[in-house]
Amino acid sequence: MFSKSKKGKQKFIACTEKNKKFEFINPKELYIKRGKENIPIEIVSDKQGFVYIVWKKRKYQVEIIEKNQNQYEILVNGVSYSISVESPFSYKRRKYLAKNKEQSKVERIQAPMPGKIVEFLVEKDQVVKEGEPLLILEAMKMQNEIVSNIQGKINKINFNPEDTVMKDDILIEVER
Amino acid sequence: MKKIKSILIANRGEIAIRISETAKKMGIKTYGIKTSKEPGAYYLQFMDKIIDFTEIVSDIPEFLDIDRIIYAAKEYDIDAVHPGYGYLAENPYFAQKCNDEKIIFIGPSPDSIYKLGNKTIAKQLAASHKVPLLQGSNGNIRDYKHAKQLAQKIGYPVILKAASGGGGRGMRIVEKESDIEKMFRMAQNEAEKAFADPSVFMEKYVRNPRHIEFQILADHHDNIIHLGERECSIQRKHQKLIEESPSVALNEELRAKMGKSAIDIAKASNYRNAGTVEFLLDESGNFYFMEMNTRIQVEHPVTEMVTGYDLVEWQIRIAQDETLTIRQEDVKLKGWAIECRINAEDVQAGFTPYLGTIEKISYSKGKTCRFDSGITEGSNVTASFDSMLAKLICYGETREKAITNTLTALNKLQIQGIKTTIPFCKAVLNHHKFKSGDISTSFIAKDMKKLYYQEEDEEMIAAFWAALNYNVELETEDQTYVDYEKGKNMTPWLMNKRLKSL
Repeated sequence: MFSKSKKGKQKFIACTEKNKKFEFINPKELYIKRGKENIPIEIVSDKQGFVYIVWKKRKYQVEIIEKNQNQYEILVNGVSYSISVESPFSYKRRKYLAKNKEQSKVERIQAPMPGKIVEFLVEKDQVVKEGEPLLILEAMKMQNEIVSNIQGKINKINFNPEDTVMKDDILIEVER
Repeated sequence: MKKIKSILIANRGEIAIRISETAKKMGIKTYGIKTSKEPGAYYLQFMDKIIDFTEIVSDIPEFLDIDRIIYAAKEYDIDAVHPGYGYLAENPYFAQKCNDEKIIFIGPSPDSIYKLGNKTIAKQLAASHKVPLLQGSNGNIRDYKHAKQLAQKIGYPVILKAASGGGGRGMRIVEKESDIEKMFRMAQNEAEKAFADPSVFMEKYVRNPRHIEFQILADHHDNIIHLGERECSIQRKHQKLIEESPSVALNEELRAKMGKSAIDIAKASNYRNAGTVEFLLDESGNFYFMEMNTRIQVEHPVTEMVTGYDLVEWQIRIAQDETLTIRQEDVKLKGWAIECRINAEDVQAGFTPYLGTIEKISYSKGKTCRFDSGITEGSNVTASFDSMLAKLICYGETREKAITNTLTALNKLQIQGIKTTIPFCKAVLNHHKFKSGDISTSFIAKDMKKLYYQEEDEEMIAAFWAALNYNVELETEDQTYVDYEKGKNMTPWLMNKRLKSL
């Protein structure tokens, strides 16, 4: 996938959730390019084993909290970033797929955490607005409202009240 | 009453550890409860003796199982039970059961717990002792004339709320009399549409209220004092997240006035032991009684830091019938203390609980910094328990210094393996309005544009770390290398080794 070019330069494109992209040529050479300047990066750890990136005299604690193939969830000083790492080729494919996804009619609402369904606030065929609560999911003694991220019509409800669900289970499908 | 020689701590996590530390200091033997949901829990390491609750299977959660807790206390001949907060702390039946079985319940009498736990009775108590209350319609409004009449009595601004409503829907704030008819009809219409019920009631509207609470100590010999206030205005959906003592909103005069009201409520309910009276405070210094909590509270350490008294120690001493030796005039609030709650929550995903394992934790402790924690390396954060893991409490001679010390400590506090509210706490402490003390219970919703603190270039650093790890992973794929940790636990040593071998 990452074929080496003539000069042995390998380009990695790291995309954020909001499709902001960062390009790195040969990251293993440990520098980040700023303008025309290559600013070196240092990787250090403390005696407890926390890992830090030192760049421009600043120290950042880094941690991979979740990973699935080229999809990373990285914590930097406790704040998380979803990053997908692409080659120039796979980046093009990703853009193409993203374009097609927008045309997909059904939005699947997944469980953000494992828990128990308390109640559904909507019924099948009901029209919902963006941000409207769909159901209440209980975890850690807290009741969490799961909201619709699009405007549309309820297509399918996959569970019943009192059901226990796992993380990422598809709870409700909303049709655009 | 006899001296307490042993205590059964009917709780878990940081508060169980907190109680055990004071008990140890007083030479009291501590008993902890081991549960099947958390058999290797950190708090158990702090107990002198562990009572195993894992063998009997029951539908009732261990810390709510009154009969089993009482039975255990009898079986091991334990003198007293400390309920901590939550669970059975405010259950009058449990307190009564302890009394019946001659076990000392470290807390108020069952009667006080019952009266103050019942909102109607608590408000009646307050009213009969001239403690200010939020006025309301006490039921639904008949028509706009009725609404007008009530609003005149309560005083503008008032708020109209749908009787069947909730979560901020169907509410209307009315500023002046000329608006009341129109607003009342609109509120009715809205309520009808949203909840299929047009019933509306009225309350006094408090603009930008602060949550101010007073710590009370009362013994069995008619001595009763307050230990000043705590400000807990930084809250989200009624969950407190950051607390401080004292409050910028109080001067000595208001402190004395509110303190007196707090003592009046406690006296009215014949209160014993430690308790907290909660008030809403408006912008002009008017305060209204909300409720009294009949337990030790999560945020009690900020009071301990500025007064120098150990509240759990006084709970135990009062329970064994000692006389309160602190007089009101002895209580001096010195300096400033701030508490940050460290919860296992994903701030970036609307504070949803975050489950996982604590892989590493590091923090600093010292004269100006206290870390009350219920977790250690290897602790599991599961859906069975509350998301609060620990509390960071920092002190400074002034509020400004306390904020600086808290930020320093927050930067040193690192937890690996799960997401926490640390970036949220940093965002609050760095906020100009928080720094100037200009806060209210709507601070998070109204004043915070961003709920987590981010430094320059962090996003790029994250992108780089992902790219580097992926780069290394791809190139090692060709070699005979099995990544059992799926690239999660990349240490610099391993990283450097792999980089060299490429």
